[in-house]
Parts: sequence; C-alpha cells; structure tokens
Amino acid sequence: MTALPKPQTLSLTVNSKPVSMPVPQGVSMQEFLHEWLGLTGARMGCGQGICNACTVMVEEPGKLPREVRTCITGAHWFEGKTVRTVEGHARQNADGSLTLSPVQQAFVEGFAFQCGYCTPGFVTAATVLIERLRAAPVPREAVERVVSEALDPHICRCTGYVRYHTAVRDLVLATPGLVTA
Amino acid sequence: MRTFLLTLAGLAIGGTALAGLVFSGALNRSVVSRTVETPLTAEQIKALAPQGAKVAAAADCYACHTARGGAPWAGGMPFETPFGVIHATNISPSREGIGGWSRAEFHRALRDGIAPGGRHLYPAMPYTSYRGMTEGDVDALFAYMTTRTPMPVGNAKNGLAFPFDQRWTLAAWNFLNLPASVAEPNPERSELWNRGRYVTEALGHCGECHTPRDLTQGLRTSKALTGAVIEGLEAPDITPAGLTHMGFSAASLATFMGSGLSAQGAATHQMFDVVHFSTRHMDRADLLAMAAYFFDRDALTDEAPAVLPEPAPVAADVAARAQATYAGLCAGCHGAMGEGIPHVSVAMRGNASLRTASPSGFVRAVLAGLPAQSFPDGERMEAMPSFAADLDDAAMADLTNWMRAEWGGQAPTVQTRDVAAVRATLTTRHAAGD
Repeated sequence: MTALPKPQTLSLTVNSKPVSMPVPQGVSMQEFLHEWLGLTGARMGCGQGICNACTVMVEEPGKLPREVRTCITGAHWFEGKTVRTVEGHARQNADGSLTLSPVQQAFVEGFAFQCGYCTPGFVTAATVLIERLRAAPVPREAVERVVSEALDPHICRCTGYVRYHTAVRDLVLATPGLVTA
Repeated sequence: MRTFLLTLAGLAIGGTALAGLVFSGALNRSVVSRTVETPLTAEQIKALAPQGAKVAAAADCYACHTARGGAPWAGGMPFETPFGVIHATNISPSREGIGGWSRAEFHRALRDGIAPGGRHLYPAMPYTSYRGMTEGDVDALFAYMTTRTPMPVGNAKNGLAFPFDQRWTLAAWNFLNLPASVAEPNPERSELWNRGRYVTEALGHCGECHTPRDLTQGLRTSKALTGAVIEGLEAPDITPAGLTHMGFSAASLATFMGSGLSAQGAATHQMFDVVHFSTRHMDRADLLAMAAYFFDRDALTDEAPAVLPEPAPVAADVAARAQATYAGLCAGCHGAMGEGIPHVSVAMRGNASLRTASPSGFVRAVLAGLPAQSFPDGERMEAMPSFAADLDDAAMADLTNWMRAEWGGQAPTVQTRDVAAVRATLTTRHAAGD
C-alpha cells in the first residue's frame, strides 16, 4: 500500500470565481471539479480522452480559448488558469432566473440533445468555436467545415450529430461578425 | 574564368562519355537469367499466386503502391526525397500498371530497376534490395500481381528538378550503387540465419530506411542497419547493439514485428505502416528467422525477460518540472508510474522510444500526437493528442530528459534546440494545438 499522495495547494479561477485549496497530487481535473467543487457538469465518459464529454474551456489573456479534456489532465495543470465549465455558460439574473448562453439556447431550440450526457462537451466545443470565429471570421462557404472540425472529436451515443451541427451552423450564420462577407 | 571553362569542358566531356556508356548499355548489369524468357502458363500462375501473396506481404509492396484511400495497387502514394517528390506507380494489371508485362519484363523491373522499353525506375522503388529475391519468389509475385483486379488509374506526375527528372542518368546511379551480384546463402551459417537474411534484406528491404545513405542516396552498406533519418524521423539503429540498447530481445522483436506491440511499446510513424501492411501478415517462422538474423544468431534459445534499465541521474529542478508536466498531461493515460493502460496507451517504463540514440521520435510523438492505431487480434491503441501548444521547447526538453533517464536509463543530454528542430517539422495545425 502506497502512502496517500501529498496535498499541494491549487489556485485557479473557475466560472469567474477564484478557488484555492489543498488537493492531493495526481488528482485529475475532472475529479477535482466533481469532488472538491461539486461541479458535475463535465462528464466522465470514456476516461481515456476519446469521447470529449468532459471538456472545459480554458481562457488565457491574449490567447484564443481552448478546449481541454479534464479526464486525462491533472488538476494541478490548471494552476493559475481561468476555466469555464458547462455550469459557467448561463447567466444568472437578479431574480434568480437563468438566461442560457446563445449556444445553449440554440441546442434547446434545435432539440439538439436527447439524453444530454455529451452536451456539456458540445456546449464547450461550440462556444470555443464561436469565440475563435469572433477573433478570426471565416468565409460563409467554410462554415460547414469549421463546424464539423470543431464538433468532430465529440461522441454522442444517441447520435444527435446532425441536430448539433445544424444548431451550431445556424447560430454561426446568424451571429454578426463570425462570417466574412 | 579559365577554371570555369575547364570545368564546363570537363562536364561536357564527362556527360558525353556517360551518355555514351549509358546508351551503349555498358553500365547495365542484369541479374535476370534467360530462363524467365519462357512465359508462365495459366496453370502455373494459378498455382503460384498464393505464394506470391506471401511474397508481396513480406516485400511490403502494398504500403507504397496504394495511396491512403486510393484503389488497391493503383499507386499514387507520394514520397519526399532530397530531389523532389516521387509518386509510387500503378502496379495493378491495367494498361496504366503492369498489364501486358511479360514474365521477363517483371523480373527486370524488380531486380534490375528497368521497366519495359528500357525506362529506368527511380531507386525509391527498392530494386537494389529486391535484386536479391529468388527467381521463384519473383515468379510467385508476378503470378499474384497479374491476377489482381486491374485498376484504370493514371500515374501521378513526379516533381523532380533537372537533372533528376532525366531517367537515363539512373544508369550511372545503378553503376555506382547497384550490386553486380546478389548474396548467396552463407554455408557457415544456419538455415534460420540465412532465411532471416533473405527475408530482411531481399524481401523486407529494412535497410532502405534503417541504413544511412551517401551523397548519391546510395545505401552505405558498411553502416548497414545502424539507423538513418527518413522524412524527418529517425529510423533507429537495428544492429544487435542498437536493438539491445532499445531493450529488444530476439523473441520480443519477433512479437513486435508480428503484432506491432511488445513490452518495448507500439510501432508508430512509418514503422506502423510496415507492421500494418507487411510484417503482421508474415509467417511466424519468417519473423523468428528475421529476429535471428537481426541478432546475428544461428539459433534462437529461450531467453530471460529483459531487465529494465536503471534510472540515470537527473538534476532535481529538471525532474521537478518534468514530473509536474507528466502528472498534468501524461499520467492520465500513461499512468503515474509509466505503466500505461492495456488497449489504450502504451507503458512508458522501458519504452524503446525513450532509449534510442536520438530523442526525435519521442519528441515528434508528443508534439504532433499520433492517430489511433489498430493491431492484430482486435488490439488497439487510442489516439495520442498533440501537445505542441502546451509545451514549449524548454518544458519539452525537461520532460524528455527526465522520462529518458527515469524509464529509459539514458543520460539527460537533450537540449532545447533538439526539440526546436523537431518542432520545425510540424504543420501549422500541430503548432496551433488543434
């Protein structure tokens, strides 16, 4: 029996809130989100970095946002980073109600998901794509391709791919500034 | 000016003399005997074709002569050479391929490098190795290839600069680099060793990647199998010393070639294609013969399992930084102790990629990632992500040094410039971390 891993302080920003606490070395980011922060939206699917149900957004100043798989990435890798999980996309209003993000709203309106297990990953992927397009718009004819490339790594066992794709494509085309003339 | 004129005159005379030699045929040294002028009968072809399938697998014809996603045997696979891009040709029995070739013409192309009409093949086609094939094996291969489905696919144009686009100049190349005779069985060595040499050198043409080349791109036979750089990646030293250094034994090498997986890791990069299209389809007896030849043994005996190397010392700050990187990015799949996950990711403890002289293959795999790979019997390794955007050259050098020392027993000599050299070969897509 090996000794328990030594705790090491982990400080980062999650969904706009600073977080700092001792976390044993070797804990995955997903375990940390679930067990230490109670954020269970980033789902454990394959645990091997294949299905992408566990992805979160990492936002660094001066850099484009990225999608990172939390099941295969250690919690301490996120030291000092700014992370947005699926819980951090909707906006809470003064009366306690929630306003969904444009991506979440598009998925609801497009009946994009069925069981919903993969949805946090698709929300992350689509949001990262839209943020990247805001920084570097693409021609209209490239939209299908960039949407496919962004969603391609995500696995949906209910095979909701077409509706996810349609929802993201339509949102990209309807949002000003993402597509060049 | 005078020197220039003399050089020019020298070149003109030399060129004319060379052209004279070429067109007089004085440079042609065929190893093809007259017996193959007699065509094979339809019955012979039918009987020989199954053996030809085995020869084609061992000689790895398909990997080069079929473009990924292209029609079988229809060519089109591009090869980057120092002289430009060459495309493998259609070798299906269609008009664009080897349709209508006689038995003798097939023998000449394979063993002398000369196609019908006297057209010289580029030595990207390993006829210098195939030259050692037996008449029987070439006949069997001819029978197999002529009974494939004809694919009416035209050949892609090569992108070679002058004078390399002048095929006749290859007569001179052949004069320099094509052996006049082929290796006869060595009576002092066992049948196993001799079979191994034949499969390795004539069929498997392992030296075409693992033997360094000289200025004319001829194989430096004095340095046979000592390793070379091909398409920016190191084909490692596979002499007995080199293989032992990577942690291979004869038995584990045979397993590696047959399945693409062993305790030393998984076949990756170009070697994955070799396993996928060639060695996994070979008879176990031939794999054992190759292993015996590679280790220069007349017989294979039971061996004790290889002992893992002792860790080499690493500076504490390098180890601390590398361990943080490993725990953050690698341990999720390769395990906290480098033990890997069965059917998902290879063990890094004892992995051959941490023990080769050059770290370039390892660095390339980490920076660029690897595709998911299927191996025999349903075995599989999942895709490795690209970490080019996560790790700068210094972090990558630390990680490489620590992993090579900890699990490969290698002194930590990797510099940031070694990483930068590999990074320079990546595409923009890898660099962006997408």
